[in-house]
Amino acid sequence: MTEYVMSLAGARKAFGANEVLRGVTLEVSPGEVVAIIGPSGGGKSTLLRCATLLETLDGGSLAFGDLTVAHDEAGRTVYAKGDALKAARSRFGLVFQNYNLFPHRTVLQNIADAPRRVQKRDRAEAEREARELIAKMGLAGCEDKVPCQLSGGQQQRVSIARALALHPEVLFFDEPTSALDPELTAEVLRVIKSLAAEHMTMVIVTHEMSFAREVADRVVFLDGGQIVEEGPAEQVIDRPREARTKAFLSRLAD
Amino acid sequence: MSFSVMLTMLTEGFLVSLQIFLFTLLGAVPLGVAVALARMSRIAPVRWIVRVYISIMRGTPLMLQMFAIYFAPYYVFGIQLTPDSKWQATIVAFIVNYAAYFAEIYRSGLQSIPRGQIEAAEVLGYARAQTFCYIVLPQVVKRILPAMGNEIITLVKDTSLAFSIGVAEMFSTAKALVASQVSMVPFAIAAAFYWVFNFLVEIVLGAVEKRLDYYHD
Repeated sequence: MTEYVMSLAGARKAFGANEVLRGVTLEVSPGEVVAIIGPSGGGKSTLLRCATLLETLDGGSLAFGDLTVAHDEAGRTVYAKGDALKAARSRFGLVFQNYNLFPHRTVLQNIADAPRRVQKRDRAEAEREARELIAKMGLAGCEDKVPCQLSGGQQQRVSIARALALHPEVLFFDEPTSALDPELTAEVLRVIKSLAAEHMTMVIVTHEMSFAREVADRVVFLDGGQIVEEGPAEQVIDRPREARTKAFLSRLAD
Repeated sequence: MSFSVMLTMLTEGFLVSLQIFLFTLLGAVPLGVAVALARMSRIAPVRWIVRVYISIMRGTPLMLQMFAIYFAPYYVFGIQLTPDSKWQATIVAFIVNYAAYFAEIYRSGLQSIPRGQIEAAEVLGYARAQTFCYIVLPQVVKRILPAMGNEIITLVKDTSLAFSIGVAEMFSTAKALVASQVSMVPFAIAAAFYWVFNFLVEIVLGAVEKRLDYYHD
């Protein structure tokens, strides 16, 4: 159990009569990069939202390393107490499709505030590390700008830095480039690739197939709330076995 | 009676109006936050009670509310009214009335903050109170400023309603002077007071707005 950074088992989630997740099991090893692909409405975003505690599971279990967040009792998910959830939140980070930066705070504040307020780290130390992350994201000079002064690609890089500042063990990305044009997409993907090279554990929901093939150790194809096919990136994307995967990939190629 | 004597009397009245204005803001600005949060409470009966309260405060004249609050202690509880009662009733009525309006303005601001930002804060591990204080509230202030400006300026003029219950604020003084001096000049002076004061309010609001202009969403 403890060898996985994150393990989600038998995840079920319904919104009313609409079953969005129908028994999904996803285990992520340290340093692994997992890409989740699939059609809209297939459950990709809901999967990430359940893994990041933004939604609650109906059934199944969820753990981050040795920390059990939710376990299954006779087919119903039972969540741990608030303290455990709080501890779990410090183990993962999430990068949103529309960045969701705090518009009234500067780039530096956006990144350094949570380490200070949530992790109670020293202000000078938090800001020093934030500056390092800003430089690493290629945003040197933007420290005192506010998000509205930045391009979409820059904003997304700030939001990656904001998540990294809390030292997560796993970073989730929910279609990080869907709101960006191709040029800006490239700069964000470059940053994610450099994180992969540093063996950052990541789970990435994406529509960028060439990127998934290049960066992911494993590709998961999710459709109809179930994992239809998973395996090494080249295998799933270039030589899919399942008919639904083939159909999805050929639709993208058109 | 000389102009300067009238001016002195009206200035004294204006200081009373100013007190109504300041006490109302001091009470209604924070009370409105509590009312707005209760209006959006997850507990349905709390929501209903607050909806009824807001509906009555907005749906009946402030003048009647002052009378109701002034006479209620006597008719409901048999408490003897004192000379201070009028003043106390005026302040209480203004605060509970304005808190209802402020609450609805706050609610519009609170509900306009994108859900995604609150989710981002949640994932980053902020406690609910931290999210409210550091992320939601500062943005709400900027968004509600124009609407609050309207209410604050209305409040300056509404202080004249205290005249109806017999509080000697500026409008009461002006009306008494108009009658005794058979002159419209006291009304003109009072109008100038209201307008100049509101002009200052506009300058302050403008400065705050400018200060918050460093970002947009």
